[in-house]
Amino acid sequence: MQPQTLEQILEGRRSQPNQLIEVLQDIQRTFGYISQNAMRTISRNLGVPLIEVYRVASFYKAFRLKPSGKYVLTFCTGTACHVRNANLLLDQATSYLGVQPGEVTTDGQFSVEHVNCLGACALGPIVTEDGSYHHHMTPAKLRKLIETLRNQKTEVKQYAQTK
Amino acid sequence: MPKLNSARELEHLRERLRQQRQDITTTVMVCGGTGCQASNSRSVVDAIRAELTRQGLEQKVWLCVTGCHGFCEQGPVMVIEPGNIFYCHVSPEDAFEIVYQTVMKGELIERLLYTDPVSGKKCRTETEIPFYEAQDRQILSQNRMVDPCSIEDYIVAGGYTALTRVLNHNLTPDRIIKEIEESRLRGRGGGGFPTGRKWQECCEAPGDEKYVICNADEGDPGAYMDRCLLEGNPHLVLEGMMLGARTIGARKGYIYVRNEYPLAVKHSRTAVEQARELGLLGNNILGSSFSFDVDIARGGGAFVCGESTALMASVEGKVGEPRAKDVHTVVDGLYHKPTTLNNVETWANIPSIISNGSSWFASKGTKGSKGTKILALTGRIKNTGLVEVAMGMPIHEVVFNIGGGAVDGKLIKAVQIGGPSGGCLPVEKFNLPIDFDILAEAGSMVGSGGMVVMDEGSCMVDVAKYFLKFLQDESCGKCVPCRLGIDRMLEIITDITEGRGKLEQLDLLEELAETVSETALCGLGKTAPNPVLTTLRYFRQEYEAHINERRCPSGVCKALITYRIDPDKCTGCGVCLRGCVHGAITGEKNQQHVIDVHLCQKCGICRSECKFDAIQVVSENEVSRCSST
Amino acid sequence: MQQYVNVTIDGAKIHAIKGTSVLDTAIEYGICIPHLCHVPFLSDIGACRLCIVENVVNGRSKVTTSCTLNVEEGMVIWTNTDKIRKLRRNLAELLVAQAPNSRAIQDIAVRCGVKEVRYPFRNEDCVLCGRCVRVCEEIWQARAKGFVGRGKNRRVDYVFGVRPDFCKQCEACIQICPMTIPPCDGPIKDGEEYLCGKCEAQLMIAEEMPLGSCSWCKLGEGFGCGRYVGVLR
Repeated sequence: MQPQTLEQILEGRRSQPNQLIEVLQDIQRTFGYISQNAMRTISRNLGVPLIEVYRVASFYKAFRLKPSGKYVLTFCTGTACHVRNANLLLDQATSYLGVQPGEVTTDGQFSVEHVNCLGACALGPIVTEDGSYHHHMTPAKLRKLIETLRNQKTEVKQYAQTK
Repeated sequence: MPKLNSARELEHLRERLRQQRQDITTTVMVCGGTGCQASNSRSVVDAIRAELTRQGLEQKVWLCVTGCHGFCEQGPVMVIEPGNIFYCHVSPEDAFEIVYQTVMKGELIERLLYTDPVSGKKCRTETEIPFYEAQDRQILSQNRMVDPCSIEDYIVAGGYTALTRVLNHNLTPDRIIKEIEESRLRGRGGGGFPTGRKWQECCEAPGDEKYVICNADEGDPGAYMDRCLLEGNPHLVLEGMMLGARTIGARKGYIYVRNEYPLAVKHSRTAVEQARELGLLGNNILGSSFSFDVDIARGGGAFVCGESTALMASVEGKVGEPRAKDVHTVVDGLYHKPTTLNNVETWANIPSIISNGSSWFASKGTKGSKGTKILALTGRIKNTGLVEVAMGMPIHEVVFNIGGGAVDGKLIKAVQIGGPSGGCLPVEKFNLPIDFDILAEAGSMVGSGGMVVMDEGSCMVDVAKYFLKFLQDESCGKCVPCRLGIDRMLEIITDITEGRGKLEQLDLLEELAETVSETALCGLGKTAPNPVLTTLRYFRQEYEAHINERRCPSGVCKALITYRIDPDKCTGCGVCLRGCVHGAITGEKNQQHVIDVHLCQKCGICRSECKFDAIQVVSENEVSRCSST
Repeated sequence: MQQYVNVTIDGAKIHAIKGTSVLDTAIEYGICIPHLCHVPFLSDIGACRLCIVENVVNGRSKVTTSCTLNVEEGMVIWTNTDKIRKLRRNLAELLVAQAPNSRAIQDIAVRCGVKEVRYPFRNEDCVLCGRCVRVCEEIWQARAKGFVGRGKNRRVDYVFGVRPDFCKQCEACIQICPMTIPPCDGPIKDGEEYLCGKCEAQLMIAEEMPLGSCSWCKLGEGFGCGRYVGVLR
């Protein structure tokens, strides 16, 4: 069962400093980012100095310290994807949306991130969005994906591999 | 299922489960690995299940969602027994036909069979597929038929026999360590350290509280062997850890899975819960005095956490900053206790060594590298995927026999082995075997097993730049040589790729590389210069072309190339104009289109969309043409 | 009861206190090993890598930092071989190219024999030595500032970038920081960075000094060398 509140996430983990990363993971997944308030609460409940919570939250790529866009496009930049020109796709996205990796568009709709290898290398280049893997990406498919997300209110279905 | 209180009860359970499945006439195994799931294999499973129910075949036909088969590009992948029939690119709409034709009538569906790209023939079975035929799938053998979320499947397939053997015969730690040492198993995560010796040192370390850890942080880009193993057969890894814990005297273990593998986390958790339920984890396992439990720890997205001391810091809830290893982790590891940390694949090898013996394992491979190795074969070849071969297989056999050779008629130029810590080997060195020591001598390394094949379309200077950027991104930043050294190496290489390079910078690059590798605090920094050093060693002419002629021979480095529309091929269709996000293309309909080089960012969109191959990449200085697309 | 071990540093047989680091032992016996992030009363983290030495074990020599290496019976250490000097010089070159606007960093560069800087200069105001973080944590137990971020983005900062109210402004972090002492000729402006190297006499230490001797050089003042324990500006 997915925990919904900070209280539920901290349940059973109080005074256990080694649970810090697990707690941050759950908060990231539930709230989409780690707020300053969340960090203060974690510090008090887990018994970890606040500077240390801040340090851990800023060290690991999994944690965002600012809210992300409604749609987060994550580009795999692993070697196999790179050799298939994944960097060109990332450039295309940043130019098209006008943001650098890690930033949110001014209308709050899109964030662009990159990740160093998702482990699905045979299907590269890969772009993920909310857990959906879009594989064998091309510039045309990427443009279509962005437009579809922009226009649709409902969830986007995965693109089936073209035969 | 009730808890098992002895090894005998486990054997009885195995018998019972096998009996239950006696009436099964056909087994349909659908790959449920991350790759095939991305291609919608879950819907295939649902469709097949629905069809089987419709035909009333649920009792006779066993539908199994398995772990990764390794041939990800052909997914969704399905194997049907009897007959070892291999279907690829299966879609939910094929369900009726598969059940009716193949399952009920035993007939093949031609269009779902795999076509060998080299011979053009259709392959009926897995063994007919060159990709599989040349492999020696030992560790991955169960991936094709075991449901990773079913401990019963693992037991039916013979799992946990090594554990029962150890407990039944009450094998001593010394006895087990001797077996592992004689097998000459070496770490599969990259270090290649003799596993037996590691266990011995940890066993001898003073202290009652010891730990075993499974390193599933697999950060090497281009490598996904551990993902497949953990997603596809977590019980195999778990059994290995149990054997390790029993040997060194650990009562607690952790599987550290990187954040980017949610399915591996899920399957590991399920496996642990199931093992606990049966009494294979917990107190007094199978009625013996051995108590052991496992927890899953998740990474936070840091490649550096693949380094053992950084990993342990992360398990402790801290930042993944490595510490000096003057005292080894087998003596002072997790929470300062003796800890045996091994890679996923290393653990996965243990049960078969205990069951089959050290000489069985040592009969494969070379003098210095025994057993089989799982490789992630990706890049510019026809057959990409996960392969398992005996150590000692020459690189060219892997690339050409298994990989099927180049795509699009290009020339293969190099293979990058061992991830960011490894190096690039040119085609001339493809006669070298997959062997820890021989590849290390050549400047590369087996590493975790990632092999990325590159063709003439890859610029080796750009490859070195790519790896330096990766390592700079992943460096923890604590020590000067890694933080500043990699930064300066990247600065020099960037100068070279942008046409500002000077020849004396190559000497500086080599000197800096030597300094970083000698003085860095941890393995990430120490091996960071490898991609630079190997590309300098084997592809110096490419560096020199960038410096002396301001030319990128492969047409990759943006500052040194220009995009140009070939007037002979351009039809004025306007596709490129519409696709250009920088507004750099102008032209009237059906008239010549032109690229404004000042606006062009060489992003490649126009090239990939042009159906007439009209967009050329030319060198700034020369008129020489590189073929497009 | 103090226990002792016998170690050999630069050929000299030394009776070292068990549990101390090779660096502390060497400094105690007047053997100068350059260092930056080491401060006698703080823990050692091995971040600057300047204190590297060659540790000979079973005939093979391993380059390792002397601040994190504890003395052991029979240890053989070389602090000033050609290889070590070259590596140390390259590390110091990286440091001074990054942050030349500090007397301490310039002194270290001279001490380690840097004659030319082959990289474009930058003008950073922090070398991430971690002295401030450690003094705040270990001496004052305040933990007002710490390391934040990773890799190229690693920096020292207060929590959320704001000085907390439990920071009593004791200024220990400022006192111990190597960057607060400007070069002898005055602060260096952006774009006008240079390698100083004026303490010519001290250059001899890096090259010709009789093996192992410390000469209480003025350079040590700059970076709070172990011989200047307790003398903070």
